[in-house]
Amino acid sequence: MTKIYLRHALLQTLSLPLICFFLFTQAALAYHHEPSGNHATADIRVTGRVTDSAGTGLPGISVRVRGNSNVGTQTDAGGAFALTVAENATLIFSSVGYETQEMAVNGRTEINITLQASNQILSQVVVVGYGTQRKLDVTGSVVQIKGDELAKQSSPNAISGLQGKVAGVNVINSGAPGSSPTVTIRGTGTVYGNTNVLYVVDGVWYNDVNFLNPADIENVSVLKDASSTAIYGIRASNGVIIITTRRGRRGRVTVNYNAYAGWQSVTHGVKLANATEYATIINELSASNGAAPLFANPGSFGAGTDWNKQILRDAFTMNHQLSVNGGTDKSDYNLSVGLLDQDGNVKTNNYKRYTLSLNNNYSPVKGLDFGIKVNGQYSKSEDIPTTTIFHQIYGAGPVVPVFNANGTYGDPNDYKLGGGNPYNPQATIDFYNQRTQIYSFTGNAYAQLTFLKHFKLRTSFGGEFVNGEIVGYVPVYRATLAQQTTVSTLTKTLNQARNWIAENTLTYDKTFGSHKVTVLLGQTAQRYQNYNVIMSAQNVPAGAQNSYFSLGNNFNITDNGTNGTSLNTFSSYFARVNYAFEDKYLLNASIRDDGASQFYGNNTYAYLPAVGAGWVISKEGFMAGQKTFDLLKLRGSWGKVANAGVPYNITIPATTTTPQLVAIFGSPSTTFIGTNVNTIVPPSISIERATGTDIGLEGAVLNNRVSFEIDAYNRETKNAVFPIPVLTSLGTTGTVIGNQADIRNRGLEVAVTWRSKDQQALRYTISGNLGYNENTVLSVLSGRNPIYAGGGGLANGALATRTIVGESIGSFYGYQVAGIFQSAAEVAASLQTTAKPGDFRYVDVNGDKVINGKDRVNLGNPNPKYNYGINTSFSYKSFDLQLDFQGVTGVSVYNANLAFRFGNENFTKDFYDNRWHGAGTSNTYPSANIGSTANSAPNSFYVSSGAYFRLRNAQLGYNIPNAFLSRWKIQRLRLYANAQNAINIFKYKGFTPEIGGTPTNAGIDNNVYPLFATYNFGLNVTF
Amino acid sequence: MKEKRFSSHVIAGIGLLLAIVVMIGCKKSFLNVPQQAQVPVAQFWNNASDAQKAVSAAYANLRNYDNTAFPAIAVESIGSDDAEKGSSPNDASFMNQYDAFTIDPAEGQLLGFYRAQYANINFANQNLDHIPAISMDETLKARYLAESKFIRAYSYFRLVRAFGDVPLRLTLPKNSVTDFNIPRTPKAQVWAAIEQDLTDAAAVLPQSYPATDIGRATKGAALALHAKVALYQKKWTDVVTYTTQVMGLGYSLFPNFEKLFRVENENNSESIFELQNAIVPGNSGASNSQYSQVQGVRGSTGGGWGFNVPTQDLVNEFEPGDPRRNATIIFRGTTTAEGDVIPAVGDNPMYNYKSYVPFNMFVSGFPEGSQQNVRVLRYADVLLMNAEAANELGQTATALASLEQVRARARGGNAAILPKVTTTDQNTLRTAIYHERRVELAMEFDRYFDVIRQGRAAAVFGPKGWKPNKNEVWPVPQSEIDLSSGVLTQNPGY
Repeated sequence: MTKIYLRHALLQTLSLPLICFFLFTQAALAYHHEPSGNHATADIRVTGRVTDSAGTGLPGISVRVRGNSNVGTQTDAGGAFALTVAENATLIFSSVGYETQEMAVNGRTEINITLQASNQILSQVVVVGYGTQRKLDVTGSVVQIKGDELAKQSSPNAISGLQGKVAGVNVINSGAPGSSPTVTIRGTGTVYGNTNVLYVVDGVWYNDVNFLNPADIENVSVLKDASSTAIYGIRASNGVIIITTRRGRRGRVTVNYNAYAGWQSVTHGVKLANATEYATIINELSASNGAAPLFANPGSFGAGTDWNKQILRDAFTMNHQLSVNGGTDKSDYNLSVGLLDQDGNVKTNNYKRYTLSLNNNYSPVKGLDFGIKVNGQYSKSEDIPTTTIFHQIYGAGPVVPVFNANGTYGDPNDYKLGGGNPYNPQATIDFYNQRTQIYSFTGNAYAQLTFLKHFKLRTSFGGEFVNGEIVGYVPVYRATLAQQTTVSTLTKTLNQARNWIAENTLTYDKTFGSHKVTVLLGQTAQRYQNYNVIMSAQNVPAGAQNSYFSLGNNFNITDNGTNGTSLNTFSSYFARVNYAFEDKYLLNASIRDDGASQFYGNNTYAYLPAVGAGWVISKEGFMAGQKTFDLLKLRGSWGKVANAGVPYNITIPATTTTPQLVAIFGSPSTTFIGTNVNTIVPPSISIERATGTDIGLEGAVLNNRVSFEIDAYNRETKNAVFPIPVLTSLGTTGTVIGNQADIRNRGLEVAVTWRSKDQQALRYTISGNLGYNENTVLSVLSGRNPIYAGGGGLANGALATRTIVGESIGSFYGYQVAGIFQSAAEVAASLQTTAKPGDFRYVDVNGDKVINGKDRVNLGNPNPKYNYGINTSFSYKSFDLQLDFQGVTGVSVYNANLAFRFGNENFTKDFYDNRWHGAGTSNTYPSANIGSTANSAPNSFYVSSGAYFRLRNAQLGYNIPNAFLSRWKIQRLRLYANAQNAINIFKYKGFTPEIGGTPTNAGIDNNVYPLFATYNFGLNVTF
Repeated sequence: MKEKRFSSHVIAGIGLLLAIVVMIGCKKSFLNVPQQAQVPVAQFWNNASDAQKAVSAAYANLRNYDNTAFPAIAVESIGSDDAEKGSSPNDASFMNQYDAFTIDPAEGQLLGFYRAQYANINFANQNLDHIPAISMDETLKARYLAESKFIRAYSYFRLVRAFGDVPLRLTLPKNSVTDFNIPRTPKAQVWAAIEQDLTDAAAVLPQSYPATDIGRATKGAALALHAKVALYQKKWTDVVTYTTQVMGLGYSLFPNFEKLFRVENENNSESIFELQNAIVPGNSGASNSQYSQVQGVRGSTGGGWGFNVPTQDLVNEFEPGDPRRNATIIFRGTTTAEGDVIPAVGDNPMYNYKSYVPFNMFVSGFPEGSQQNVRVLRYADVLLMNAEAANELGQTATALASLEQVRARARGGNAAILPKVTTTDQNTLRTAIYHERRVELAMEFDRYFDVIRQGRAAAVFGPKGWKPNKNEVWPVPQSEIDLSSGVLTQNPGY
């Protein structure tokens, strides 16, 4: 007990009264339970240490007493344990990955024991849907990653670290503080609505897990094939990632403190033309437009303003996490608090996140367990206009000074730059006064009853309550002609999510001789509701972030019906049988029946079966003599999954009421609310379903030092739901949603891991993975008619992608450039008679002697064909080193920035250096008039390879020797240095080759957050 | 003892679990959720209030960006000899394609304009399909239907003069297979449909409205638009018929030509149809007209965009001393009648005065001049249509009388300027009327199509690149042709 109070005192100094209170109750609980036990014989206190064959202390080893499940503990981080037991008791030491050993106490007070590593591959347990399974028994494709491995990447977001770790999992990270990565598992099979993977955190379903502190994660399980995900039914189409958070370990209280600090810097900022170059090329643009030069003497401007340097910075990041965990034989807890303070690469941008996580479990009597898992998050972001600021930096004229000599902002209007770039980016961020705060509370409570030995009844209720608040205040100011206002405006956006999920499962688990059977029955209900309200008022006094709308006038309120407000419910039943015979023949089968409120009548429900079979060849008699394979297993699976990620009430035609439809009549003018119908809904819509098959071969050779896993898969999405543009002559806005297409993803995955021997001084693990995916559209509803999209961010909204039978989703589509017109004579002799010298010369693909829309062709595929990773970790004495490499190839990106021009925007240095500016100067880059309609039409010039290879993560750690630590009562102190994306190799010339986007608009670089690297120094301390 | 405690816990536990199991999610109604934040169509079109809202929406749409800003400027004004692109040379240089007739069918303003008209037509069709079944005051119902027909006719008129043949939709598409993707309807049929709508509308619409409803389409508006529709088809008798009817409705020319276009004189005695705009406090969505902003004086206090600026050719067209010259064109280095000083240095020498809103009326947070009504039809236009058609029919006296009314107002009592036209030679008078129409209605979005319908485009616009048998109409938007999978055809020459 003294130890507990000692920690208590320690924590008090850290001013965390909540933890103190919690610890106090835990201590009281521990005290209360201490007397329980068998008093028939004398109890003695046994201490000791559990080590591996190399003598290293093993943490987390379960120490139990045979025949008395009320007594038990786990070893601490150093392998030590302490337990009060009867002097004649027998202790059982067990843990995943080690052979279980028993040891009689025989009155000894100190017991040290060495555990032998078990056949790791055979005994590994992985988390699967609604349970755990031995890896050996799994018949689908499931990859589990330890939380420690992800935490070794010093990323604010837990999922970022998955990049390059798992074959077939494509992760796209963004450097924007507070952002979440985009994850695609085995290719894009879903086009619309919710294209995120499903995250299941301790049983609760989420679209995003930004609220999790990576250090709180015990493990992450990636379910890749349809048979594994099918148990998650309507949310399984895009793959499932199951996250289990850390639990406390029985035994003494452990306090962990993890921290790092470092910086994030833009590694490949787009280099822009300087002022002299800018003035030169703008004069060329004017000449091309038949106008007089804008700048009389380009050379007089010198280098001018480097807007990249002016607005961007190396951004500081700091992260702290403190956790306390422990437990008694009847309860355990893990409490963790975290603080992340991350600056953005754009000046003034800052993101702070405070997290609190509690995982608390009780087992008051044998057979009954209950507990809660709670995550609280508060985040505060000082925002920047994320997309526009990059466009402004890109376009801002370098001839404009940041500030004039008299201290006022440099005004592009003073230089007659026109409407394309009228902003001073410095003024933009100076007067962009917006703060986003998110309060989220997530988690669940569960109770589990084990009865009649083999039955387990579990009920849980969990959910998510999110309250987001965006407050913006535009003061009265005048920076430039285009950046000024005489009326202040206070705006507040409130977002709320109230989601819940209730689940009940009954499990039956029994082994009869060689037969092992597990049966699962379950039922769940879910409800997802979102609200969105936008309020604004004018003339609220300055400094009004905390002020009230009632202090101003012209109050306006919008509850955003089309985007922000929704309500969906789901009701589901599911069942699963796992059967194994002699651990040799495996059979798993499941079915899920899902009902979704978005659908009607016969379309409401989806029945989603799955089946998998496995054959552990290495266990067969005929393999008994061979020495090559320690494990060889062949498995195959088939399953159906679905995606219900479509808007609520999608087939019910709705009216539109917007401010833009308010009519004005009368003298004096009065307003008349306008409501009408300007949308088309599909007559009916059915749930999008996908059928997936997977064949896998798993094996281990060289004494289990090399293990491999090979998968071939095929997944066909039927009736994929997404919106397609409709004829504007229907008079409706935009698109109509429906079951539009069938899509196939098929591919191959290989993962190989090579481990060193446990005993040697230099220990290492090297693993490599490679995923190949081929995305093909099998059919579209419109028959042979393609689906055009990808207009966002392109000048004139030209459509840059096409989805057509036989090609990949959202393939780039446009003209093929043959070269550049060098002279008026060349133009006159060509098919493009209205072109100017310096314009693109397009290929007359169909040979009809006319250059028109019919000459457009497939220009590339934004869906990566290959993604791969090489992950290594080494340890030598007190040092450890982790090097992860990662890349994608077989992918194209579209640089929309180049031609997104409306006037005198700046050009890249690369464009300036290579542009056409007179006969013979270039036959690849066009003239300064690249923004003209003909030149900016989607064409092959804008498409380039998006392949990259990078040193994703490098971390060097050093464990301070115990000799120094013991007198501080520190068990472990590790210092490390970490670098992410330190080395990147790619050819693309835009912001970054790592570009996300919705499936039919993917890979289009339109002012995305630039590629970044992070460098951190950190420490891990365990008390 | 232990076993007993265990079993009591078990019973309590099972009871608790079962209670939760039964409570959640088993009811069938759990999956029936109400529509969020939108009124389902099934609950609309029920009463007079719904009808009013639906008609209001159709009017409101007429003022949006696609209907009145860049797309309208591009398609209806820049091609003429009155106006050119304006602004900074490299700013929105795609607009030059409309001035130089190098238009690419993929250029975005074409689609914007096309989309805008069909959005108007959809609203009108919604009203015309649904309002008849609403149980409400029959007189008001008939008026709402007539107003919707006027809006539909106005939108088809803008389409047919810009593109020629266009898909004609007079009811809502019901069947996605047969009604969605329809071919272009020959323009003669489109003209006929427009005329039918206007005939129907004129029969029902009132001559005027009480103060609260000013701005809605009137009988005069339907007749005046019908006259213009007839004019484009050279149906001279009809033009005279309809204009004569309008001339009997009590309209009169506003005495001061310059003040005619100012905000305080909106809906005056000369006004036949105006798009009603206002700055609605706290509601920038309802104050979304950018008609004045995009044409506003560049680089001055308000930050107008300065597009669609008058040409020197237009300046030269005005007769000496014509006061309309300085009321149609804002010249750099002058001071407006409302007291705004226009700096002598800037991108463009001239700006459109008719869309001008004095700078002191700008309100932060709203497009500059978003309160400016768009003058669609005014009485001077009717008089000049009357004069043009009468002259074609040889009714010289009528033509001269109507022409003189317009000139007399411009003259403003100054006998030294704008002498009365007295010629009785049809050709000479025709030229005089063409001239008068140009200077009176300059920068009012008619000149480009007037010259084409008068058959003079090759002569007048030819030097700018206009080619006969091609540029009479603009190309159909490329993306629309793409989406139709070839059901829609492109105009010849594009």
